Amino acid sequence: MVAEVEQKGRSKPENADGLILKPLYTAARQFAKSLIRPSTIIYPFERLEDPKFREEVAIESGRPIGVGQVWDNYRGVHALNVNTCISCNLCAFSCPDLCIDMVTVPGGDPKHPKKCPQIDYGKCSYCGFCSDACPEGCLSMTTRYELSTPKRAEMVYSPQKMFEIYQRKLPMNPIRLERPANEDSILLDVPLCIGCNACARDCPTECITMIDIPKANPKPGEKPAKRIWKEPVINDSDCVRCGTCISVCPKECLFWGTHT
Amino acid sequence: MALTTLWDVAYFLASGLLYVVSRIIPPLSGVLSNGDLVWGLSALVFGAILLAASMINTIMLIWFERKMLGRFMDRRGAMHVGYAGLLQNFADGLKLFRKNTFKPRDADGLGFYAGPTAYMVTSLLMFGVLPVSTGWSDGSLPLSMLLALVIFSFAPLFIFISAWSSNNKYSLIGGMRSAAQMIAYEVPILLAVVAVVVISGSFDLNTIVSEQRNYWYWGPLFLAMIVFATGMLAEMERIPFDLPEAEAELVEGWNTEYGGMLFAYFMLADYVRALAGSILVVLLFLGGWTLPAYFPAALTSLPLAGIVVLMVKTYLVFGVFVWIRAALPRVRTDQLLRIGWMRMIPLSLASIVFAVFFVLVKCIPVLGCVPSMGG
Amino acid sequence: MSEMWVNMGPQHPMTHGLWNLRVRIDGEMIVEVDPEMGYLHRGIEKISEDRHYNEVITLMDRTCYVAGMAWEHLYVMGAEKALGIVPPERAEWIRMLSEEFQRLASHIMWYAAFVQDLGLMSPFLYGMRDRDLILDLFQSYTGGRLTYEYMRVGGVRNDLPEGFPAQARQVLDWLEPRLVEYDRLCMGSEIFRRRCDGLGVLKANDCVRLGVTGPMLRSAGSKRDIRKDRPYSRYSQVEFDVATADSSDVTGRYLVRMEEMRQSIRILRQALDWLEHHPGPVLADRLPRWLGAPYAPMGREGYLLKRNYPKGVGLSAIEEPHGEACAYVVNEGGEHPYRVKFRSPVFANLSACSHYLVGYHIADIPPIMGSVDVCVGEVDR
Repeated sequence: MVAEVEQKGRSKPENADGLILKPLYTAARQFAKSLIRPSTIIYPFERLEDPKFREEVAIESGRPIGVGQVWDNYRGVHALNVNTCISCNLCAFSCPDLCIDMVTVPGGDPKHPKKCPQIDYGKCSYCGFCSDACPEGCLSMTTRYELSTPKRAEMVYSPQKMFEIYQRKLPMNPIRLERPANEDSILLDVPLCIGCNACARDCPTECITMIDIPKANPKPGEKPAKRIWKEPVINDSDCVRCGTCISVCPKECLFWGTHT
Repeated sequence: MALTTLWDVAYFLASGLLYVVSRIIPPLSGVLSNGDLVWGLSALVFGAILLAASMINTIMLIWFERKMLGRFMDRRGAMHVGYAGLLQNFADGLKLFRKNTFKPRDADGLGFYAGPTAYMVTSLLMFGVLPVSTGWSDGSLPLSMLLALVIFSFAPLFIFISAWSSNNKYSLIGGMRSAAQMIAYEVPILLAVVAVVVISGSFDLNTIVSEQRNYWYWGPLFLAMIVFATGMLAEMERIPFDLPEAEAELVEGWNTEYGGMLFAYFMLADYVRALAGSILVVLLFLGGWTLPAYFPAALTSLPLAGIVVLMVKTYLVFGVFVWIRAALPRVRTDQLLRIGWMRMIPLSLASIVFAVFFVLVKCIPVLGCVPSMGG
Repeated sequence: MSEMWVNMGPQHPMTHGLWNLRVRIDGEMIVEVDPEMGYLHRGIEKISEDRHYNEVITLMDRTCYVAGMAWEHLYVMGAEKALGIVPPERAEWIRMLSEEFQRLASHIMWYAAFVQDLGLMSPFLYGMRDRDLILDLFQSYTGGRLTYEYMRVGGVRNDLPEGFPAQARQVLDWLEPRLVEYDRLCMGSEIFRRRCDGLGVLKANDCVRLGVTGPMLRSAGSKRDIRKDRPYSRYSQVEFDVATADSSDVTGRYLVRMEEMRQSIRILRQALDWLEHHPGPVLADRLPRWLGAPYAPMGREGYLLKRNYPKGVGLSAIEEPHGEACAYVVNEGGEHPYRVKFRSPVFANLSACSHYLVGYHIADIPPIMGSVDVCVGEVDR
């Protein structure tokens, strides 16, 4: 069958020199160069994270690879300092992949068990939001990147495992986010508060203290209530803005805002 | 008995084997001393040695290409299995050997299995014809060069058979291309060879090489060599002429449906043909196993010196093919046909005219060569 | 041979991703083509509606996996307009720097893939080798090599590390002679010219009619570049030329992209000069807490009800390496964007393929589709 489509014309190249010598020359030059040192990095034996090796390669091949802090900023597997973790939940909150679970670790008191993040690297996207959000700097990302394993369950790193990584003193991602100076504070909607103490109980930094206040203005003729009313006072300089108090408040009387 | 030719070696091995067997089992000695049996067994041994040598050489050639292509691409090539990756190809072959070969449901069984096998076998036949040193083959084949080229041109047929029978559109297009481009380069190759025949006066590869002991033909027949090497590139289906298996559009073309050992057949046969093609270039234009006169005679008269010289030249020629592969893109079908018909055929005709002229004047004084024609 | 349909894809070396080009061929000639997209659809626009503003950025890196920075920039600009946030000056310059580096990396990646389609093997490795240096640079200040998660609504995550400009200049110095080398391997080769000249012709009128943008439009002679026409970020403060070609074919697109790389290097040098002398903050002050990380996202409706944030709509357009990309972010006053819509340039370029493929040979498909620079991640989103 003859196609009804017309064949598109092909113009002859206008200023081609009719030769193939230039590419042949370029390839030969590269050949001569790579006889001295090809750019390949023989991965398991030569590692880019080794600064000495980086310098060697940069000098030998003339390629400006890996000078400076290239590797130290890498976002790899997390290291967790369990001792300084305050169980504030911020990492789990900020995780876009929902791969962080807070699991109980030994060391807390029985009433308020200590909870530390456990990360499922099968889901993790290494965005670094968790270490950005960590107020104490105990969760940070290291240069470790080899995590292949035959079992899916081994992709879940418990806090203890990440603590082991921390103890290995790998280079940590040195870029830390400064917390903004004029951050929102947690404010109290006073009339709604019932003084239940939940916020002070659950505050990871213990910056909430309950102070006694008398019940405001008893009506004339009534005798003052026996019960002493309490009200949280938040120490802004200690507060890490984790919002735990807001989420445990039964009356929704705590909220974000600025002191006016 | 002087072991000067491979046939002598095979005969010696075969008769020695029979002698040992007859000493171990004396009643058989009468049967084993039969001359036909010795002859047949030595033919088998001859074939086995030839097969082993050519296969090992082919695999070394693949290694050579991988390493060299690696350097062209600023990387290292195979390097972990064996010293500098020498055993990598054996490992790859073993892996392919272990794989399941399967046939697409609607493929034609006979063609599907026979195609690669015939391709492999005909490619290996080449080494029965090519002389690689003075004492390689015992008898003389007066038309060995033509025979070699005939065997070489079998391949597109089997490619087409296996492509058609694998019932895949890509394979079919690849097979069609292979068949179409065959004519485009076979004709110039033969014409270029005619120039060699004119100047050497023989169709026998042995004679052609021995005629080159004074000057190699690449000087007087430069054009013919270019045409022949280009044609060989197309014959081997290597970049820039690997249209039948153009992976970007045809997904490996005619061997799309093949896997496991059948694919290994294709792959290996491709390199067998590359090896044979490079040897042909060396034999016809680069003096075969001869060396220029300023090399000391003691060097050339060493045992196996001829084979070593030929192999070094072959690998150098193949290195040039690899170089071209590293630097050039693939041409289009119509362009290949145009190159074949419009460029290569006139060039080869011109080289024939030049060869005739050369034979007439017997020599080009500028090259300073000595005529050896005319006996 | 009679006509037949050939499925080129979804898994095919030509596709550079997951899409299917159905081709009706007559012998070797293309009679009809029918592109099928959607194999890589991940619902990024829908997922975005369920995420905090900053968390959408993790998706943007995955939208186009070779031009993550450009898409981050696109989304972040749209979100800022919707929320009424103004990023600091230095952040804008860093963003521009990142986008130009990304353009360089993306074009080198395109070059590598394009020549690989033509069967030219070694430039592929050269391209990957040189792109690696740019990825090293990205890693040095973002921490990621492919998925950067660097920009934030209201600025960028962190400042450039010490010594970055010097290192970046070294890389640019290394890259400039490499571009010459690339040109020698392609434009210096007769075979390359014969493979590419006069292929895939799409005139400027048709480009405009079909919504084809980017290097394809510029190769048809149209001087259309959002960086010049509607300067965003700080593009109005740097000097560069818009690369154009007249041939509107594959060679023209090649030339445009090569010239764009040189212009990118030019922009980068100016941006590095500026950044060296103008320190400053990189994140805006007083950002709303509900943007997401690094803040604690608060899932309490009560919180939002108590505070009225301004509603708004943001539309941003950038000159992405593949063409003109557009983002539309609707802020209905919640913690999440109400709707995020992207205009993918490659989707339009690809959809027009019947206009520049029919009539050529089947062997011409790889170079033509290679010159379109397909990134399926952003086609399907």
